Amino acid sequence: MPMEIPRTDVLITLMGAPHADDLITTTLRLIEAMLTRGGRVQVWACGYATLLTQRALGDSKPRNPGDWSTDYPSTAAVVEALLDAYPDRLFWYGCRFCSDDRGAVDHLPRVRLRPPAGYAANVSAAAKTMLLGVI
Amino acid sequence: MSAAPWSEHLLVETHGPWAGPGCAAFLRDAAALVHAGRRTLVLLVQDGVLAALPHGPGALDELMDAGGAVWVDRYSWVHRGLSTVDPAAGVTWVGMDEVAGRVLDPAVQVVWH
Repeated sequence: MPMEIPRTDVLITLMGAPHADDLITTTLRLIEAMLTRGGRVQVWACGYATLLTQRALGDSKPRNPGDWSTDYPSTAAVVEALLDAYPDRLFWYGCRFCSDDRGAVDHLPRVRLRPPAGYAANVSAAAKTMLLGVI
Repeated sequence: MSAAPWSEHLLVETHGPWAGPGCAAFLRDAAALVHAGRRTLVLLVQDGVLAALPHGPGALDELMDAGGAVWVDRYSWVHRGLSTVDPAAGVTWVGMDEVAGRVLDPAVQVVWH
């Protein structure tokens, strides 16, 4: 049975690699701001952006030698906190092909992996689609 | 053919003028939309804020002269050590809340570069 895709105001197709620039910071800021305003948002992580939600990342980034006592949350922890805060308005999908191709096989429980052919259904479920970054 | 549901364009520039000619070309695209009578807003974010430095690309002046609005993400500006530098005249400081408001508006089409 096909997965039901909840309708959202915006679909963010996130294709940029996590550390190529500050795209991920900008994207997470925008997602949080839209949710704070009451918006419904879905994210389709593609390419190296599928690495963002791996459970192997743990809750924190490696310690910063220049600021030893500060805890820097991992991207997985940030995404999980957003999913916890907005369980009915934020939906996070990952491209199964891109994920498998990169060995990213253990994601946060609420990240739903989807086949590339399923992308059209996500687009159809969103009032607006944005494409951020390139693979 | 039915009319497009959006009446306003939000163009998001993230690369800036030193990454190549794409930034200026994107700003010229925005100016073309303005000249075509479309309400057009450009957001400069990440390295894109560098286009708002004084004496930046002429395409930014052309865009604003044509009537296009330019927003600059204050976080990106400060993050690049520019807090003591004034941006080009005519731009508007914004935070992500204002951007989210435009993105969620059904009348606004978003293009990300």
